[in-house]
Amino acid sequence: MTPGKKRLNYSYYPGCSLHASGREYDISTRALFKALNVGLKEVPDWFCCGATPAHNVDELLSLSLCAKNLSLAEQVEGDLAVACAACFSRLKTTQHHLKEDEERRKQVETAIAGPAALDKPVKHILEILAREFGLSKLEESVKKPLLGLKVASYYGCLLTRPPEVPELDDCEDPSIMEDILRALGAEPVQWSHRMECCGANFTLSRPGVVLKLSNAILESARRAGADCIMVACPLCHGNLDIRQKEIKDAYGAPDSTLFGNIFGSELQQGASSDQRDLPVFYITQLAALAMGVPSGNLGFESVITDPKPLLREKQLL
Amino acid sequence: MKNKLMHLSNETMNVGFVKKVEALSGSSVRRCFQCGKCSAGCPMSAFMEHPPNRIVRLLQLGQGQRVLAGRSIWYCASCETCTTRCPNKVDLAAIMDALRKLSWDADGPSKESYVQLANRLFIENIRTYGRQYELRLGAAFNMKSGQFLKDLMLGPKLISKGKLKMFHSKNKNIGEIEAIFKRIEEMRKKGEAL
Repeated sequence: MTPGKKRLNYSYYPGCSLHASGREYDISTRALFKALNVGLKEVPDWFCCGATPAHNVDELLSLSLCAKNLSLAEQVEGDLAVACAACFSRLKTTQHHLKEDEERRKQVETAIAGPAALDKPVKHILEILAREFGLSKLEESVKKPLLGLKVASYYGCLLTRPPEVPELDDCEDPSIMEDILRALGAEPVQWSHRMECCGANFTLSRPGVVLKLSNAILESARRAGADCIMVACPLCHGNLDIRQKEIKDAYGAPDSTLFGNIFGSELQQGASSDQRDLPVFYITQLAALAMGVPSGNLGFESVITDPKPLLREKQLL
Repeated sequence: MKNKLMHLSNETMNVGFVKKVEALSGSSVRRCFQCGKCSAGCPMSAFMEHPPNRIVRLLQLGQGQRVLAGRSIWYCASCETCTTRCPNKVDLAAIMDALRKLSWDADGPSKESYVQLANRLFIENIRTYGRQYELRLGAAFNMKSGQFLKDLMLGPKLISKGKLKMFHSKNKNIGEIEAIFKRIEEMRKKGEAL
């Protein structure tokens, strides 16, 4: 790429959630890329990557589905941009495994009846914003800095783990989301639960698990003084945003057990008296807002925990 | 498991099972020296009866049946914390995948059928539609798990917010997905793939 001259262009794999429960992630990604004048063209007729359920019980199927998607992506020019953390992880894992394991690659090629296209670079949009578009250019493009907005960046599981696969950032102490936030003028808070799992796809089969884990994440963000949480995964968003009221109902009452009285609220996950709503933003919503994209184009109407009071308070609407 | 005492002998140790796990996961279980780092970082170990390091220990002792009889493998969230932190490069997340596949192939005897059911419906959706149809996923799960009222209040809210689509269309090239499923089944029948 010749620096500064050529327009960036990407092929785009949205993934199932972005066409359904995470629709605002898709809407805001498109709006942001348009505002930054970066090309984005959807891969035609892409399939579900299989996400966690497929590799949980049938790795060969999971690898084959992703290999099929990678070969479909070959039709569209440009590196493959992925917004969903799970799709990103599965596509990268497939490339990584099949490059290393000759026998597996042959099996997958038999399954998809064609060669596995393993060379197209797969990139998460965080990587595109921070590295390819570049933090300094991002900072220059800001029209409405997110001044005074205290944001807890939530990485979750799959953006950085396992270390040899996503190659996005440090697997124990990443900073890419905080870097982007600073470029947007916001204030990243330091907090403890930014890499802890939210329960992910147990939201269907074991919602109780999700409520417990997500409550710990929300509590940690509140204690750190965050106004809101920023995510880059539709499942994290679903668990923290859609189930926030349920989490409050389940864990909101002040703890009155003996254990709670003795050790105080610090040790008890549900013992906080502070029950502020924490709006959960996608990275692309906050970035697009800072780029001056009208808030009506960012899918805020689809969010359950209303972010508008907070944005009005910070004079960002 | 009633018999808590573990007698190790050729009869009680199923080494073949462990070899299958190692072949499927591409990871050795013998490398583990029980430091416990996997279990310390595991967000789900509180829900498991055997935390991750004990699963590996049971496998080292050829106790595959004990592992499959419990709920631990169905409470793994695949968050990769264990694999990331293991000092001996045991890929525990891949071992958990392998164990779930072996349990799936044997159609149980896992107690955690809800998780299995959710996985099954998810994969069925891919085969039928090419992409996920979230409304069907939720509705079918509630019907088949007998929890008719689960998340009942959530559904209409999500529909009104545009987060759940009422109708769903199939991918145009859906035949290609069916062909992939068929070819994998064929390869397994012929013994060309695990």
